[in-house]
Amino acid sequence: MRVGVVGVSCSKFGRRDDVTIQELAYEAVKEALDDAGITQDDVDLSVVGSVNTRGYELMPAVPVNEYCGFAGKGPLRVEAACATGAAAVYTAYTSIASKMADVAIAIGVEKMTEVDTATSLAIGGRAGSYLWEFHQYGTTFPGYYAMHASAHMAKFGTTEKQMAMVAVKAHRNAAKNPKAHFQKEITLEDALNSRVITYPLKLYDCSPISDGSAAAILASEEKIKELGIDDVVWIESVGYASDTANMTRRESFVGLKATVLAAEMAYRRAGIDDPVKQVDIATVHDCFTIAEIMAYEDLEFCRKGEGGKFAESGETDLGGKIPVNTFGGLKAKGHPLAATGVAMVYEIVKQLRGDAGELQVELKNYRGLLHNVGGTGHFAYVMVFRR
Amino acid sequence: MFIESRKLEMLHKIPVVKTEKYWKGLEEGKVYKAVCKNCGEEYYPPRAECLCGGEVEWAEVEGEGVVEAFTTVHTIPAGFEWHKKPYTITIARFGNVRVMGWAENVKVGDRIRIKTDKDETGVWKVYFEVV
Ligand SMILES: [Zn+2]
Repeated sequence: MRVGVVGVSCSKFGRRDDVTIQELAYEAVKEALDDAGITQDDVDLSVVGSVNTRGYELMPAVPVNEYCGFAGKGPLRVEAACATGAAAVYTAYTSIASKMADVAIAIGVEKMTEVDTATSLAIGGRAGSYLWEFHQYGTTFPGYYAMHASAHMAKFGTTEKQMAMVAVKAHRNAAKNPKAHFQKEITLEDALNSRVITYPLKLYDCSPISDGSAAAILASEEKIKELGIDDVVWIESVGYASDTANMTRRESFVGLKATVLAAEMAYRRAGIDDPVKQVDIATVHDCFTIAEIMAYEDLEFCRKGEGGKFAESGETDLGGKIPVNTFGGLKAKGHPLAATGVAMVYEIVKQLRGDAGELQVELKNYRGLLHNVGGTGHFAYVMVFRR
Repeated sequence: MFIESRKLEMLHKIPVVKTEKYWKGLEEGKVYKAVCKNCGEEYYPPRAECLCGGEVEWAEVEGEGVVEAFTTVHTIPAGFEWHKKPYTITIARFGNVRVMGWAENVKVGDRIRIKTDKDETGVWKVYFEVV
């Protein structure tokens, strides 16, 4: 049975001092229901994705659910670190595919700015195996990716300049995205001269700490006909995988095995053997610039080790062979953990509908690729959407 | 307008009964891994049970290792403010296991030796020294 996306939305990302977590979630829910042309009554199941380790509302699913008008339906709370959004969409998808629901909504919501930066770093640094990593060595989330950057640079000659080019592209796109946290362009010099956060990563290699929400409404093919919705983006395939919690249990630091495995599964199910030719738009998980470079390789846009050069080539810019993160990426649009994966669905659906305005890509296959990573490759989801 | 939340502090008591050998070992300058007597799997961090069901024994991580990845943390997380300057987290390979530790002036490919020491907060851990 086919499952389609019938409504999407995304809040403005950034520092959202004006809303609580449930109010922020409702912003997205309202807009997604309007987009689908349905009401809460038409929804069978709500899935609330929220990592919320920085929040005061330790069990946010029920307050979010009540505020959004879904009391009595669900909620299923989903958490997969930074891949919580894709995990929530996957949960909604499987509930429909298994006929437990006809219509399900995936809500991704995160408030990250209510605590100070040092606390935020201490929470992100626990995204691994606490006793063996943070407790002794003070790992931070940027630090995990910085270790990958050090290995990638040593093995393949990837440069700080290539990483900076990913940031410049992200900001160029985000400047045109009204939902983005940072709507300003930066220069290569700005990026290269920014202060070191965790060597070799500098300020502009890192996504900001943002608040945000997004929602996606999924429905069965049967229900879509019944509702009379004719503009549908279908979920063509889904792949998922994971890797070890402990960095010391990994086989390599120049890529994310979970991404490779998730992509294999999604590509096999969608019949994709050359994503650059078969996909019109890709959203990849660029929480740090090195993450986007590794994603190019792990998703087979280029060969392992050539991600830095691929970033330089311009092929991932708007108008390139495979435009990547035309919405500004996590890097410049922002990365409110659980909202990110759901917001990727929003950005892909907008592109596939041809509604992306100045950021619109050329549609040949009417196919979009989503890549959402949790932790440092602890989780990975790859999804293919088709209109 | 904001309302400040009530303060919540959590201090956990983490059981290390099954890995006590490891934590005591650090205080004696030894870094232990776990090796399965049945299937040969080596675990670092060590664990008292092998997934094959076999019995596990403790073996020291010794000799020279090779640096595979590192980062020097300049933006320091809460809990490590006491370390007034940047610190370098390193992952090095020793045969079949990889170990995390603190090091100074390392780069990928460097040969390093393992040792243990206590930091200013009294926590024992792994340090690497470039050979
Ligand atoms: Zn065994």
